[in-house]
Amino acid sequence: MSGNGQVYEVFARKKRADRFEHVGAVSAPNEQLARVYAWQTYDEAKWFEMTVAPRDAFAAVNRPQAPFTLGGPGGRAPSADSR
Amino acid sequence: MTDSGFRSAEDLPEGVSEHLGDLILALADNKRLLGIRYSDWLLGAPSVEAGIACSAMAQDEWGHARILYALLRDFGHDPAALEHERASGEYHSSELLDRDVGSWEEFLALNFLWDTALSVQFEMLAESRYEPIHYKVRKLLEEERFHFDHGQGWTARLLSAEGGRAALTEAFGAAWNACLCWFGPEDDPLIATLAAHGIVRRGAAGARARWLERVGPLAAETGLARDAGSGWVSTREPLWEGYLARRRRTAEGGPDEDSLARVRGDRNRELLMD
Repeated sequence: MSGNGQVYEVFARKKRADRFEHVGAVSAPNEQLARVYAWQTYDEAKWFEMTVAPRDAFAAVNRPQAPFTLGGPGGRAPSADSR
Repeated sequence: MTDSGFRSAEDLPEGVSEHLGDLILALADNKRLLGIRYSDWLLGAPSVEAGIACSAMAQDEWGHARILYALLRDFGHDPAALEHERASGEYHSSELLDRDVGSWEEFLALNFLWDTALSVQFEMLAESRYEPIHYKVRKLLEEERFHFDHGQGWTARLLSAEGGRAALTEAFGAAWNACLCWFGPEDDPLIATLAAHGIVRRGAAGARARWLERVGPLAAETGLARDAGSGWVSTREPLWEGYLARRRRTAEGGPDEDSLARVRGDRNRELLMD
């Protein structure tokens, strides 16, 4: 099924005072499923807040491509061609 | 009637305790079986992410079932016996869960329609005058929010796909009557008694209406529900033939042999050491 849709980047923080960190990415057919997958996949902490955004929504600033294509800070974000 | 709560099953009025015990047992058994059905899809789901979601949902359901079985101690049950020693016909779980499901669409009927039906019944208990269930229900419903989103997200996805709609319509159609009946007939003495004493917030008809409000908008696309202006209604009348009020199902029988062995943890117990 080509229904995996698009890649969503996942950001979360443990406390209100924390900055968001990039915790990884999920592939999902729509935003509703992206939220579910993000919450259930990146459950290593008791997050105060988590948010997702489509990878396509990020605009590159100083490099030719938008970020995250080589994996997130945790090395857990899938690369674009592993889909 | 006063607004004071009941701290234990012992304090419940005559007859209410038995009905509430039956309802909690039905919820517990359904969650235990549903957990197994979720776990069946850890590896076969359409994506790795969906498999992880199934795994998380299975864990949630088993956790919920554990809590509910433990709660039944208050009603004079032995939780260990309930969990490990019953025969198939003693389970109060839905006929929808008696055997494994063969397709992702049938899985979604369980995930979206059935799991939501269970959650709606828990919503009815959220402000129950039976206090021991309060806190447990709130946390359970927080987790169930993601189950609903998973079911709804996938249902929407399949409805928008060529070919997905037909299979989904068939699977939802097959599960629909069991869901309608789960809440009980309008004059269900069991639920009416619980509602009269403030144990559940609304009676059978009210709970069914709430379920239709949640699943109706997408179920309408399969022809099973429609917007009647004042609310979402089923396009089919519930068929009560064979309905077993205490077990809250419309067919005799129970989980098949394989499901029963898994639900009771027979293999785990073979490994127990003295």
